[in-house]
Amino acid sequence: MMKISHFPAMVLFSFLVSVVFGVLGKDSPRDRLIYGAKVFGAFIGFALLLGWLMYPLPW
Amino acid sequence: MARKRAESEIAVKPKAGPSRATRIGFCVAAWTVPGLGHLLLGRRWRALILFCSILAMFFLGLAMEGEFFSRQSDSYLQTLGYFGELCVGLAMPAAGFFGYSGGDPFFVSSDYGTAFLVTAGMLNALTILDVYDIALGRKP
Repeated sequence: MMKISHFPAMVLFSFLVSVVFGVLGKDSPRDRLIYGAKVFGAFIGFALLLGWLMYPLPW
Repeated sequence: MARKRAESEIAVKPKAGPSRATRIGFCVAAWTVPGLGHLLLGRRWRALILFCSILAMFFLGLAMEGEFFSRQSDSYLQTLGYFGELCVGLAMPAAGFFGYSGGDPFFVSSDYGTAFLVTAGMLNALTILDVYDIALGRKP
């Protein structure tokens, strides 16, 4: 059994999804790398942003 | 002159691709083992990356005690989840065959694990569509 906290789980999830999106979404290796990095950054960035925005909420 | 050229371009027959049955066969292969469809179509590196990524996601889901949904559930969402997980192909029945009991919903990482399992299936569904596009000649 693997206990994992929120952030590593999110990073793992984002990385694997970004790899697949990059491979399927673009045709050249360079475009794939750039697109995958963008998707990964967007996943992490939006998750952190939403986390900070929701931080003051009481529930 | 321009019209004649346009007509001659239309008259050129496209290169014959695989038949419909073959394309469906590629899709079935892509469903059973992630990346197998790409491998059969000659995209070896793409196949390897997809195989590793999707199965890594699936095995991480198992390690986190993600839940296998049942088709006979009362909840439509759980039924959808069942079909989502089934999209990963033979890995799901294989996990059951090798003794995976379907997850422990009270385990601390179980919800993450379930998300990983369903997402692995969804990513494989995208892979199947990609294989169909490649077999049809829409993608390189």
